[in-house]
Amino acid sequence: MDPFLLTVWVVRLLFLALLYLFLFRIARALVGDLRAAAREPGAELGRLVVVASPGGEPEEGTSLALDAIATIGRDVNNAIVVEDQFVSAEHAILTFRGRAWYVEDLGSTNGTFVNGAPVTEVMPLGYGDVVQVGQVRLRLERPRPARSRR
Amino acid sequence: MTAAAPGLPAILGPIRPRPRWRETRLLVIVAGAVVAGSVSLALTSQVADPGESHGLSLANPVHVAVYLGLLAIAHTVLILSGRRMDEVLLPTAGMLGGISLLLMERLPQTQVVQSVGPWRLGLGDVQLAWLILSFGLATGLAVTVRSDSWLRLYKYTWAAAGVALLLATFIFGDDINGQRLSLTIGPISGQPAELLKVILVVFLAGYLSENRSLLVEESTRLGPIALPPLPFLAPMAAMWAIALGIVVMQRDLGAALLFFTVFLFLLYIATGRVGYVVVGVLLFLVGAYLMYRIVPTVQTRVDIWVDPFKDASGSGYQIVQSLFAFGRGGLVGTGLGAGLPTVDGNLPIPAVHTDFPLAALGEELGLVGVTAILGLFLVLIERGLRIAASAADEFRSLLAAGLALVIGTQAFIIAAGNLKLIPLTGITLPFISYGGSSLLVNGIIIGFLLALSDRGVEPPPPPKPRGRIARLTGRVSRLETPAAGRARIAPGPARRPDAER
Repeated sequence: MDPFLLTVWVVRLLFLALLYLFLFRIARALVGDLRAAAREPGAELGRLVVVASPGGEPEEGTSLALDAIATIGRDVNNAIVVEDQFVSAEHAILTFRGRAWYVEDLGSTNGTFVNGAPVTEVMPLGYGDVVQVGQVRLRLERPRPARSRR
Repeated sequence: MTAAAPGLPAILGPIRPRPRWRETRLLVIVAGAVVAGSVSLALTSQVADPGESHGLSLANPVHVAVYLGLLAIAHTVLILSGRRMDEVLLPTAGMLGGISLLLMERLPQTQVVQSVGPWRLGLGDVQLAWLILSFGLATGLAVTVRSDSWLRLYKYTWAAAGVALLLATFIFGDDINGQRLSLTIGPISGQPAELLKVILVVFLAGYLSENRSLLVEESTRLGPIALPPLPFLAPMAAMWAIALGIVVMQRDLGAALLFFTVFLFLLYIATGRVGYVVVGVLLFLVGAYLMYRIVPTVQTRVDIWVDPFKDASGSGYQIVQSLFAFGRGGLVGTGLGAGLPTVDGNLPIPAVHTDFPLAALGEELGLVGVTAILGLFLVLIERGLRIAASAADEFRSLLAAGLALVIGTQAFIIAAGNLKLIPLTGITLPFISYGGSSLLVNGIIIGFLLALSDRGVEPPPPPKPRGRIARLTGRVSRLETPAAGRARIAPGPARRPDAER
């Protein structure tokens, strides 16, 4: 075979090979990212940031990681214990179902409010919404990222 | 070097460069591939029989060098900005742009000739100029955009501007091939539909993130499908009407299909309701049938798609030639520059640089090359959705997903059209097709995605309270003193201390 023609084909295939090398490097980087996200211990589903809490428990400004089911109330057995005289022992429950958060009032004396509107049945809750129990206001936020990307 | 560089204007603040090694490594591969491609092009022109005119033009080494320099500058600027941004987007877009430059250098330069002052610019020159502007825009937006409130707060203003652009094109646009798409204002002419894509995504992201909880509620039932309250179906009806309007008024099937598809994607991402998608697809089918009966252009396109060989030298000519090109390419293609750019001095596919770049690349790079190019688009979509998944709030999430899906959907529509998988609609292949408006808008999209991928930006604003009660408690709790507030805070029935314990 003509050596020049051979060179031409080598260069042509080199171009295609470099395209695939590029894709391969990206694929490796992406898989690495996904693995790192999956390895993250105790992957949380959301966070509650305490916006207002006159009673001081939980403290204003703290942010609490949430599991799929998070109960709120004055009783110590709740996932989030709220020290406030207007809050019932078992006040409300936040659940993560499928891909969204929902809030439900557990028959509390003073009710639960989402952005000021009373919760009468199971209600979807978006990130950024503010839940109010008693005088305590809690804002639902997205889970913290697994790890800051470089 | 973490200290402020002396002599820089104060507004820039201290410069804290942050290395981006992954991006550097990927860009090295991009540079290698582009250089290999241009060498391959140069060697091919040596092989070509000198007696036969292939209409082949050599890759200008200066253009390749300028393009690689451009990527290096963009990379350096991103490093100097010190933001933690995605490191895969720029190299991927750079690779697509490089392939585009090689293709435009290789096609007959007389396809597009523009005179600027004393210079006559051919296809390759003009495309390089647009690529420079596009990457410049992307880098500029990536470095400067730190807050999204100017998009978030003025969504209706943006929507109004978009509709105004569309109407202006209806009225003042220039007719090209029976389509009224481009608008000329003074010396500048462009295709507003391209910019409309970004405006649409901004508006939808704002609208859907604000009304998400209302859209999720179900109160209407249509047989087995649960639907949200009827008033909230109105945006879907409006979107459908706008898409049909674009088809009727502008004969622009591609844009209409793109807008409606992206709308359905975003609606599904925001609500997670299959019912919306079902209704949307039904609406699409009804609309498509109506258009097929009413608009002759649609009818021709569908007829060509059903059997392009019926009129292979007439209406079906381009698509038949495109299929032949893919067939000639085979597995690894004929090699860059070794395809059939001209037959008897004419291009077999007249619109090869705008609507059929994938056919040309399919011939010269083969199945292997086309698969790699589609893979690059897949990477762009994956990055966009990943940025969306880790965004700080609903608006940013929808914005990132929408922008990435605009690029992905567009690539799918034109690639499938070239391959006769769906009826052909004239739309550009992002970053590869020739065209200023398209390249600039793609640059804007990449710039926004880069800016959105930085988690260190301004936090999103607090949500607006809904309804009267919320406004009341909001005001009271701001003013309250601990003693007075306790009595007045109760939004509903009078509160009493809970006595269960």
